[in-house]
Parts: sequence; structure tokens; C-alpha cells
Amino acid sequence: MKQPDSIPSDKQHLSMTVQRYRPEQDDAPVWQSYQVPYDDSTSVLDALHWIKEQQDSSLAYRWSCRMAICGSCGVMVDGTPKLGCKTFLRDYPKGLKVAALANFPIEKDLIVDMNQFLHHLTALKPYLIGQPSSASEPNRQSPEQVKRYQQFANCINCGLCYSACPQFGLNPEFLGPAAIALAHRYNLDSRDQGKAERQPALNSKNGVWSCTFVGFCSTVCPKGVDPAAAINQGKIVSTMDGVIQWFSPKQLDTTPQEPTS
Amino acid sequence: MAATKRYQRSDEPIWWSLFSAGGVCVAMLIPALIVLLVFGPWLGLLSAEALSYQRMSALLYHPLGVLFIGAVIILPLFHAMHRIHHGLHDLQWAHSSLAKWLCYGSAVLLSLLALGLWLLGVFV
Ligand code: SF4
Ligand code: FES
Repeated sequence: MKQPDSIPSDKQHLSMTVQRYRPEQDDAPVWQSYQVPYDDSTSVLDALHWIKEQQDSSLAYRWSCRMAICGSCGVMVDGTPKLGCKTFLRDYPKGLKVAALANFPIEKDLIVDMNQFLHHLTALKPYLIGQPSSASEPNRQSPEQVKRYQQFANCINCGLCYSACPQFGLNPEFLGPAAIALAHRYNLDSRDQGKAERQPALNSKNGVWSCTFVGFCSTVCPKGVDPAAAINQGKIVSTMDGVIQWFSPKQLDTTPQEPTS
Repeated sequence: MAATKRYQRSDEPIWWSLFSAGGVCVAMLIPALIVLLVFGPWLGLLSAEALSYQRMSALLYHPLGVLFIGAVIILPLFHAMHRIHHGLHDLQWAHSSLAKWLCYGSAVLLSLLALGLWLLGVFV
């Protein structure tokens, strides 16, 4: 195993309390405290590495890129969803509590089961649909056309927004912030023709209409995506879509089916 | 994959549109009216006679007075009941369609009452 390179032990320490859940021995999650050394550059992820290498090799958590790109290191830090690699101990001089992402079932320690989120993501088809592609000709987009959706394209699927969303907490069937933001991103893309396939899910009770504009998803998003804006723009789109449909009964039979697993 | 079911369109656009329209009234129109009607005479912007009962009721029971009823009573009612309906859901006190019927039903009934009283004032 690799030695963490960033933490010599002559540093100042603070107390990091980590939520543990070992399904084979714990009935429910328990808290365990560690004294971890830190300096200005020590992230929560670095500290977890240090615990795993120096104190307790059984600690389980996810990570990959260490630079806020892969989206796998999401944890609750003092009750707020954060990326472990983008959150620094220097901002918590009195110590901190690290727990598994809220609103998801815990598999082990800080590892959660994200299937519900991935299921919702799949249902909204977050990819270009029906774009005419040819090997020789690239699809052209003007800077203005790119600007319409670019902000919503920065999502790294970390799921922090799902942990922040009280409506997803109450109703896991809610398609949720990131999936709806990505659906919105493709609906706004000039190369995409898939809106009719995505709209029925967005129009449903568990689509944009489960959102009550709490807005915490946008506060916690580490990539500045603003899913709350996407969902609430989506409410206007869904309302217009409804008005059109209510006045043209012919289209009733094109409604796509809801996948059930 | 198991059976598939159709996505059902939510009726929320109706309630949300009324809620949004009501929100604009509650946030912009009502504070402006309060400033005008409460502080207006005090600041000398309006004379007390301008707010006399005769003048006010003549204004209200003018055919366009229905716009006032809509903007100051009916839309804010739907705004408030939409908030209460979703608040009940958030507090997990009531998820049922009964709560929905009671919330929007009372907004409809109180709106009809306001319209009825206004019609009474116009025609009687
Ligand atoms: S919208 Fe933001 S918080 Fe949500 S999954 Fe994407 S990057 Fe993470
Ligand atoms: S480790 Fe990749 S986002 Fe944190």
C-alpha cells in the first residue's frame, strides 16, 4: 500500500470523528474518533488515507482522482455533503465529523449504494439522441448554442445534490437534481432531438414537480451546476408542454413507458 | 426487465401556475398596496377623502374591481394553500389526496365566496 505523502507526523492534530458501519458486526452505524495530523493542504480524503494507513486498515471509503473530477469521494462533513478531496481540515480547526452521504443506503462505513441515483439518471437518457452524425462532418454549434447548456454539462455525478435534497430523502422515486439537470442540459442542446423522449418522465409527479425549490442542491454542488435552476426552468418547460398537450389531444399515444426494475 | 407503466402527467402545472401568479401578487402588489393605503395618507400622498368608504366601494364594485379581488384575494389564496399543501408533505403530516383536496378545495371555496360577495356588491 502506498504511504500518504502529504502528512508528516510532527504536525498539529485535530479530532476527526468518522461514521463506521461494518454490516457483519454493527447493527447500526457507530462513530469512531481519530486524532489526525494536518496542515494547510490536508484534505478530508488525505486524512481518511492517513487513518487507513496508520490506524485502521478496515476503514472503507471511495475515491479515485483526488482532484474533484471523478465524483466518487462524496461524504457528509459536519452534516453537509462535500467532496472529501475538495474539503480541507484547516477549515475545521475544532475537529469534524465525517459520515456517509445522506439519503442513500450505507453499504459499509462511508460507502453508499448509489443505484437509485444511477437508475434515475438512466431513465432520463442523458446523451445526445437522434443527432445526424457523419464521420466526415462534425456537428457545428455556435458559442451561443454551447452557452445555453454548458453550465449544466459540468456535472460529475457525485450525488452530493441528492444528499442535500430533502425531497429525495422523503421520496427516493424523485428523479432528483443531477438527473434532471442533465436532462435539461440535453434538452437545451441544439444537436439533440430527444426532448419528446425525456419530457414524459420530467412531466410526472416524480419529475420536476417533486421539487419545492429548497435550493440546497445548488449550494452543495462542487461544480457550480445549479441543478435547482435547471429543475425550475424545467417546471416552466413542463407547464408549456402540458398546455400544448391539453389543447392537442392527438399526441396522447406517444407517451414513453416508465422503466421499472 | 419487469412490466413497464406509463408516466402519468402531473396536474401540478395548474397549481404551480396559480402559486407563482399568487406569489408575484403577494411579493409585489400587496406590499405596494399596504404602503399606499396605510402610509399614503400619513405621508400626505393621499387625502383621507380619497380613501372614503363611498369612493373605495365605488372603485371595488366597478367591473374592473374583479381584478383587485383576483390579485389580492384569489391568487394569494392559491399561493398560500399550495405552500401549506407542500409544507404538510415536508413535515410528513399528510401525503394523501385528501390533504390536496382540502387545501385547493378551500382555496376554491374561499375564492368563490369572495367572487360571490363582490357580485353581490356590484348588483345589489
Ligand atoms: S449536479 Fe453537482 S452535486 Fe449534483 S451530482 Fe452533479 S456535480 Fe454532483
Ligand atoms: S477523489 Fe475524485 S472527486 Fe474526490
